[in-house]
Amino acid sequence: MVSEFAIQSHGLTKQYGQAVVVNDLNFQVKAGECYGLLGPNGAGKSTTIHMLTTMTSPTSGEASICGESVTGNPVLIRSLVGLVFQDSALDRTMTVDENLHFAAALYGMKKQQASERIDELLAVFNLEKKRHLKLLALSGGQRRAVDIARGVLHKPQVLFLDEPTIGLDLPNRRAIWRFVEQLRREQGMTVFLTTHYLEEAVACDQVDFIQQGKLKKGGKPTSLIRDLAAFILELDCADSEAVAAQLTPQFGPPLIEDQHLSFRVADADTDFTALQKSLGDLLNAMQWRRPNLNDVYLWSMTHHKVGVQ
Amino acid sequence: MSLLAVKAVMYRELSKTFRQRGRLLSSLVRPLIWLLVIGSGVGSMLTGTQQEGYLQFLVPGIVAMTLLFAALLSALTLVYDKEFGVMRMMMIAPIAHGWIVVAKLIAATIIAMVQAIMLLVILVLIGLLDWQSALLLLPPALLTALLCASMGGLIAVWSKTLDNFAVIMNFVIFPMFFLSGALYPVTQLPDMLRYVVLVNPFSYGVDLLKHSIPGSQTDFSIITDLTVLIGFTIAAILIACWRFSRESVHEPLFRGGKKG
Repeated sequence: MVSEFAIQSHGLTKQYGQAVVVNDLNFQVKAGECYGLLGPNGAGKSTTIHMLTTMTSPTSGEASICGESVTGNPVLIRSLVGLVFQDSALDRTMTVDENLHFAAALYGMKKQQASERIDELLAVFNLEKKRHLKLLALSGGQRRAVDIARGVLHKPQVLFLDEPTIGLDLPNRRAIWRFVEQLRREQGMTVFLTTHYLEEAVACDQVDFIQQGKLKKGGKPTSLIRDLAAFILELDCADSEAVAAQLTPQFGPPLIEDQHLSFRVADADTDFTALQKSLGDLLNAMQWRRPNLNDVYLWSMTHHKVGVQ
Repeated sequence: MSLLAVKAVMYRELSKTFRQRGRLLSSLVRPLIWLLVIGSGVGSMLTGTQQEGYLQFLVPGIVAMTLLFAALLSALTLVYDKEFGVMRMMMIAPIAHGWIVVAKLIAATIIAMVQAIMLLVILVLIGLLDWQSALLLLPPALLTALLCASMGGLIAVWSKTLDNFAVIMNFVIFPMFFLSGALYPVTQLPDMLRYVVLVNPFSYGVDLLKHSIPGSQTDFSIITDLTVLIGFTIAAILIACWRFSRESVHEPLFRGGKKG
């Protein structure tokens, strides 16, 4: 049966002893979409991925990949998915080529077929010259690229990326996202990614938020951002309580973090200069900017209290 | 599909091992030191023909030792791969997880056999063994290698980290070797120790090797040896595969400090 949905999850739950790590997850991802599951460290993102890829089994609830139950035939599920782990699964003492050939053989690919695919992927990641170097000799970004190449060797229907850019510097993070986008365009695969660099998920078709194992529905990042506010107003002031009381009637309640206040400004024509004058000496600093996905996350998850670790 | 994967896991293991020339060399030096030091040392307490006989007696035991160390340590790479995360590459592949164990154990057996054959060649060259006996030693050596690999597999699926390595060395490998009849005939041992020898499956491998050398003093019949070796090996492999396929074994790999 060909399913319209690449991933479906109904009441997916994982418990370790008394601790509920993932709690009653319900979501669907259409085939070909890029889906982002966003949340802080320890929120249950990796556990969700591990359940969807048969690396760990759900305590209750069910999930399917391309219409196939993840608990039914794990070997079939593993042939449908590619998984790039949060930290490298490659053998550092072997070369790029050896690692990729090893992975290809694990997927039952013949040598010739594997070589062609490896050529193709190394070209995408611009790593042709590093082919015969040991993993140890590669930079962090290059190693992650090889990890991703390993994950897509067998052209999976669904690619799971668990924090693919964690620990990388900005240029490398950008490069990794470019690669993912290119692979997605070329192969039309569904991508499921987790990240706590929320701004990186803007390109997703759909995002949901997760905190302490609970899912909070999101939507399309651009709509979420547009619906949040026209501007985010950030103030630094000694007496945050007084300023909050003064501005709440106009902008609604702020997020308060010590002396730092953030307001959502819905009216794009707000006169910030006048506002600054009216607050006068109460202010240490003031800035207003366009909202981003981080703001969406903060406003939807923290109930007016900034507490993300 | 699984066959290619099994071959890949085996090939990786073999190429990694045989790349380490030092490890290979030391695996040959160790039994020779034992043979020459223990053989000559203990032999010096004996007289004339007895002295010669003790060196001969040690040969199968030393071959068994090579197999034990090589196969068991190779099987422990199951833990090593887990520790370094490479195991996840194999676990996300579309094969039943038991095949990973099978592939590792076949590789461990091959590695042990290669080392044993190299040792046999040296023993023939230095005149402690004739060609016929060396060839006759190969089938029992293979069974012993399989036994040691499967024991290693059994230990590996129950060890969480490599930290247990010293424990395994001191509480498994050495007792197994010393209480096996590799260094002395077991019939003269005190009852307590003899019982330990009897429940040690490795003893039967050593004994079967002794059967290949004409005139050797053996402790059990060939049938007993074969039954124990084959029975234990099959049981150990099945248990190791079963346990490795259970998720709880890998929980640290997917949980541990890397929550998210």
